Amino acid sequence: MVGAALPTSPSKTPETVTETGSTLLYPLMGTWTEAYQKAFATSAGAPYVTIETGGTGSGTGISDAANGTVDIGASDAYLSSSDMASYPNLMNIAVAISAQQINYNLPTVKKPLKLDGTVLAEMYSGKITKWNDPAIAALNPGVSLPAIPVVPLHRADGSGDTFLFTSYLNAQDSSAWSSSNVGTTVNWPSVSGALAEEGNGGMVSGCAATKGCIAYIGISYESKTQAAGLGQAVLKNGAGQFEAPTSATISAEASALTGKTPASETLSMIDANVSGGYPIINYEYAIVSKKQTNGTVAEDMRAFLYWAVHTGQSGTDYLDAVNFEPLPAAVVTLTDNQIAKIGS
Amino acid sequence: MAAIARSTGPDGGAGAPLPRRAGAALRMAVRRGDILRWLGGIGAVIPLLALGFILVALLIEAIPAFRLNGLGFFDKSIWQLGAGYNSTIVSTDGVKHLSGSSFGAVPEIVGTLISSAIALIVGVPISIGAALAIVERLPRRVANGVGIFLELLAGIPSVIVGLWGALTFGPFIARDITPVIARNMPDVPVLNYFRGSPGNGEGLLTSGLVLAVMIIPIVAATSRDLIRQVPILPREGAIALGMSDAQTARKVTLPWVSSGIVGAVVLGLGRALGETMAVAMCCGVALNAVPGNIYATMTTISATILTQLDSAFTDGTGFAVKSIAELAFVLMVITLAVNVAARLLVKRVSGTALPVGRGV
Repeated sequence: MVGAALPTSPSKTPETVTETGSTLLYPLMGTWTEAYQKAFATSAGAPYVTIETGGTGSGTGISDAANGTVDIGASDAYLSSSDMASYPNLMNIAVAISAQQINYNLPTVKKPLKLDGTVLAEMYSGKITKWNDPAIAALNPGVSLPAIPVVPLHRADGSGDTFLFTSYLNAQDSSAWSSSNVGTTVNWPSVSGALAEEGNGGMVSGCAATKGCIAYIGISYESKTQAAGLGQAVLKNGAGQFEAPTSATISAEASALTGKTPASETLSMIDANVSGGYPIINYEYAIVSKKQTNGTVAEDMRAFLYWAVHTGQSGTDYLDAVNFEPLPAAVVTLTDNQIAKIGS
Repeated sequence: MAAIARSTGPDGGAGAPLPRRAGAALRMAVRRGDILRWLGGIGAVIPLLALGFILVALLIEAIPAFRLNGLGFFDKSIWQLGAGYNSTIVSTDGVKHLSGSSFGAVPEIVGTLISSAIALIVGVPISIGAALAIVERLPRRVANGVGIFLELLAGIPSVIVGLWGALTFGPFIARDITPVIARNMPDVPVLNYFRGSPGNGEGLLTSGLVLAVMIIPIVAATSRDLIRQVPILPREGAIALGMSDAQTARKVTLPWVSSGIVGAVVLGLGRALGETMAVAMCCGVALNAVPGNIYATMTTISATILTQLDSAFTDGTGFAVKSIAELAFVLMVITLAVNVAARLLVKRVSGTALPVGRGV
């Protein structure tokens, strides 16, 4: 087994490993780092390896890992084909499974609304302007929908969440949402009343303040969206069923996609034809260069990432706090294989 | 060091920290002012070098973007990294970029200029009025208090002003004020920009007003200090001639310091043009459209740079970052041009600024 070749503890030479990138992965990186530094420390309590984390954004994580200004970049999106071409040494290593919820602020609607990519695309392009639109009503028979305007919220900053959301819109209905409008920043159609918000936190507070809003928000903010009283949509998946983002539906989607995951772990997990699966999930990636300048740091990186995808996958200890799901066993093997390639 | 040497000398300290000759030379240098001159010289050159360095570094980063974007940068409105996330790398004129990329900065440039203009239109009259009131009308105690508040206002971090604009002020005007104006404004040129959808509180008007709040303390505090320097005699003369307070202010006080006030306004304009965080939080960052009316979402150069840099890093060719550098360069040029224009204006105005002998 390849995994056996990986170091299970850091080198005894004190070193610093730096990490920056995705703000969605940042809280998990923080708890991982704290536990890891505690687990591998001298008898005096000084950690063998210090891991410095930062939440700056996925693009910065990729770019900094490519330029070598940080050791590990964190990204919600896999490397784009242009990144792969420009930085052939970069790998995207899956470390956890995340998902995205679609939220709305309709206090009178108690039952979760069913929505699909076509309806969402038409809301975000201004074709559906009222919540009682026949297209929404057709998906939700028997639900009394208010006649208030739809206020689409999107991210003001570039974001992996925007990439996931627009990927879903395009995958569900390529005529309603074109593939050229899929990315971390997209050309949002001009919709009267549309709002732009900074970060997932801004999306939550913006949606909470705006009746009739619709928003896409990372699953790690689920407790905050619930506290804000926002509704959570059940989304149409690639198999035509409507599913809510629960631990079971996210895991079902993830395990069905393990066979499709290539050795590079570059995979869009959006809208797969999986019965009982939630359609907007993604691998959270560590972006790492195969060629490290310092052998000790490379060893420490291998040890930390190995720990993160084994010990660090414990739900109760680490993942549940951010509603992430553990990697399926077959994907852990792919990840181990990639970690083993980090060298100097 | 020199001070130490001097203070130990009279104490008869045999073990003075400096050798006798070096200490003497240093004392000599201090007395002649050589050291001060050198330090001053270095201090004077550093800002110049810094400005030059920033301009050159930006220009070098942006040159490929200038070449490829060409004039389209100034007449296109679409800011798009490429045709989707997996667009391929293409090379045009030896510059690598993503297929389907388009970098047009019209909304950014227009948004920057208009939001700053709104800030000036709203902020400058209030500032000058406040300055006149503080100097000429309010009792000294109250005036001092107001002055302190002005200075405190100037010190509020922009992110806090932005938060206020985005959470409180923007939603308030969108709910209670703009719908009324938007409904009742007549459909004639200029005023029709106040018609139409009243928006949701993120946009041009909110950004402009938030910027006004940010420049008022700067312009008002500077104007206040200027107006204080107007001698009392010409003002008393004007009043003796039967002028009202308003006439005195308009014909004597303000012309006396007009060049200084132009300077104060430019100081405010410089702040408004470059303000980033507050505007990014209130403007809606609409990258691809020039606002259709005064309530519509918009963006400015600085807000675009702030919010789009992370996305630009996902462009493996680096061309998106170069285009952002081009944006930054354009902002720099606008700011410098405003400053130069203000200087020219001040020169022209100050020639005839003194009302004395002009027959007030």
